[in-house]
Amino acid sequence: MANLLQSLSISASGLAAQAERLNIISQNIANADTPGYQRKQISFIQAFSEVGLDAVEVDQISLDTSDFKRIHSPSHPLANEQGYYEGSNVNLLVEVADSRQAQRSYEANLRSFDISRQMSQSLIDILKR
Amino acid sequence: MLDGIPIIRAAGVIVSNSAFRQSIISQNIANSDTPGYRAKDVAGSHPVELFESESSLRTTRSKHFHADSTSQRNSLIFEEQSNVSPNGNFVSLETEMVKMAENRQVHEMALSVYKSSLNLLRTSLGRG
Repeated sequence: MANLLQSLSISASGLAAQAERLNIISQNIANADTPGYQRKQISFIQAFSEVGLDAVEVDQISLDTSDFKRIHSPSHPLANEQGYYEGSNVNLLVEVADSRQAQRSYEANLRSFDISRQMSQSLIDILKR
Repeated sequence: MLDGIPIIRAAGVIVSNSAFRQSIISQNIANSDTPGYRAKDVAGSHPVELFESESSLRTTRSKHFHADSTSQRNSLIFEEQSNVSPNGNFVSLETEMVKMAENRQVHEMALSVYKSSLNLLRTSLGRG
């Protein structure tokens, strides 16, 4: 029974990590057209709980330092002499693909949480006649 | 007292082992995107191996029952290197979901065996 309750907290850490990842992705998508915006990246790391089981937690949120898009728009307030201004370095295709992966992992963690809950419920049901 | 009956003890061992395996599988799923993480599993968890090990319970005298049949902490094994992603992550979500479904069925089966054995005892006591 203790194992199943630990499974619940491990799956919950997975849910929290994937939700944070989706949060970062939606920030990137929302700021895809903001001039000078550097997209954020998230990385995960194993978190050792006190009983030695590997939960997951967010390691760090870093900025992507790749080049900005150069957009040609002479009438833009920030345009330089050639008519270019720097946009963000967000690639929408990458962000959408990442969000799909985050959703898939989130649902897998949710399924794992539900199965652990049902297994512990079956154990308790032994007491019922 | 119930542990003296081999089938009830075997069902209890299978239930606790499958609960342990569920915690290992949920670790794998939670860490499915962590770089460098290797998927773990419990040794001897294939359903065929489960039945082979439990069939050794049939002894002539109950005192000859070995203690290692009731041990819970089986050895952990690491997955082979069949599906490595670019960041060194070894977890395949499909494999983990299939393992979880199998494990759930083993758990339910062992619980049903446990409950029917208790019912048998009650019937034999005349309190069915």
